[in-house]
Amino acid sequence: MNTNLPSPVLQVANLNVSYGSFKAVRDVSFDVRPGEIFGLLGPNGAGKTSTLSAIEGLLKPTSGAIYIAGFDNRKQPLHARASMGVQFQSTSFQPELTVSEIIRLYAGIHGISLSAERTAEILADIKLEDSGSKRFGQLSGGQQQRVSLVIATIHQPPLVLMDEPTTGLDPQSRRQLWVRIEAMRDRGHSILLTTHSMEEAESICDRIAIIDHGQIITIDTPQAIIDDNRERPEVIRASRRGKITLEDVFIGLTGSAIRS
Amino acid sequence: MSSTTTTPATANITTRNTDLAANLPSAGTVLSNLLKADLTAQWRNRRASIMVILIPSIILISWKGLIDKFGGAFALSNCITVGLNAIGLMGYTNAIARDREKGIFQRLRVTPAPRWTIIVSRLLVQLIMIVITTLVLFYIGYQVDHIKLSAGAYVLAFLTAILGGAVYLALGQMIVGLVKNQEMVNVTTRLVFFAFIMIGQFASFGMLGDTWGKAADWSPYGTTKNIISAALSPDNWTSTNYMTLLANLAYTLVFTTLGVRFFRWSNK
Repeated sequence: MNTNLPSPVLQVANLNVSYGSFKAVRDVSFDVRPGEIFGLLGPNGAGKTSTLSAIEGLLKPTSGAIYIAGFDNRKQPLHARASMGVQFQSTSFQPELTVSEIIRLYAGIHGISLSAERTAEILADIKLEDSGSKRFGQLSGGQQQRVSLVIATIHQPPLVLMDEPTTGLDPQSRRQLWVRIEAMRDRGHSILLTTHSMEEAESICDRIAIIDHGQIITIDTPQAIIDDNRERPEVIRASRRGKITLEDVFIGLTGSAIRS
Repeated sequence: MSSTTTTPATANITTRNTDLAANLPSAGTVLSNLLKADLTAQWRNRRASIMVILIPSIILISWKGLIDKFGGAFALSNCITVGLNAIGLMGYTNAIARDREKGIFQRLRVTPAPRWTIIVSRLLVQLIMIVITTLVLFYIGYQVDHIKLSAGAYVLAFLTAILGGAVYLALGQMIVGLVKNQEMVNVTTRLVFFAFIMIGQFASFGMLGDTWGKAADWSPYGTTKNIISAALSPDNWTSTNYMTLLANLAYTLVFTTLGVRFFRWSNK
């Protein structure tokens, strides 16, 4: 990993994404600093996935700029993609390949040649030493997430993107994943994750952005966002336990109506 | 907006060079890794691959009695065309539709793999299948049906089989480009496969009359079969065969253009 990278690792500037006449992302700007866990929170349809997809290069924004480790993801897409690792919400690999083969494939695509011993070490590190010859589909949800995370970080990218990484995991697996994400931050990775879990955002994110109707409505540390908004009447109305939580602020700012 | 955003102005963002640029893997490295994985996947699916080879082989063996009447080139070219049909329409197309549906392409697209390497790797695997199928049919034709040809005819037929295979791979690409849903791709390829085989075979035996017979002759099935047939007996190669070859190349070009133009990496 290039530890001499000046901050920020990800810069999103005036991003707009449209689907026909529908504007999914409107003038979104934020950055992710080195060694930071940054959470993107929002109700369903708020624009989180569109923002993330634009950063990943999977959809073409209407306008705006995205720089990953200094590389323009439109003009230098391969360099930008080499500088990031992506963990999708649900990952699928070729079902014919074993877990070891999948890890070696993705390492190879990044120009890393893994010996059988090194692959075994990687599997042991994620407590899957006996699963190298299994197919990905034979693993449990938590095991699949661990393999997926290994693949996302096999090339030690400065930036790791995670789309709702703990969705569908049991509490134990979720806690384990949080520990791994924090360990990644300690090793110098910057992490951008989307989540619906306020507990997750409060527990592991250094900063969060709340996005709604395609626009960012606030960016700060979880505690600062709570402090800045605790006096707002809509937040007080949303409070259920007397004590203002991040979830109360989130509901207060984005409304309580169910989104499709 | 009550934000404390650190909004960077686009104009102020400067591009930095890092050592990642120097470490970008070459397209060759990426392609060889993809190819290794795709070959492994094909090998693990060898039952399907064997079926692709088995169907034209059985037809060729069962036509042993027809060789004297219609000639070895007729039988061999028909069977090779059936094999190419199956490879392009069943093998390639359905695998691409499945991997698109499962999000496997999306996973590859966020890596530094140039996008063309993902498809070229798949095509190379199918090219290997075309080579194997053609060689197996040459062998069966020689051993079982006693079809004996000159070395030049075998080489020419081999090359035209690859050209014919390209038509079906391009046709498959067009189907998977125009049809998004995996199930619909599956149904479409089966329908097109059986339509080509049935109409092509009936036309070959003169059962469709002149008009339909001529139409079948200039269909992707007919042009492929006819150039392979002409290549198997190069002494009888005529100017019509050049036209057939040209039509074959035109089909490949049109199908590829449409297939690439409308192809989407994701169904979502």
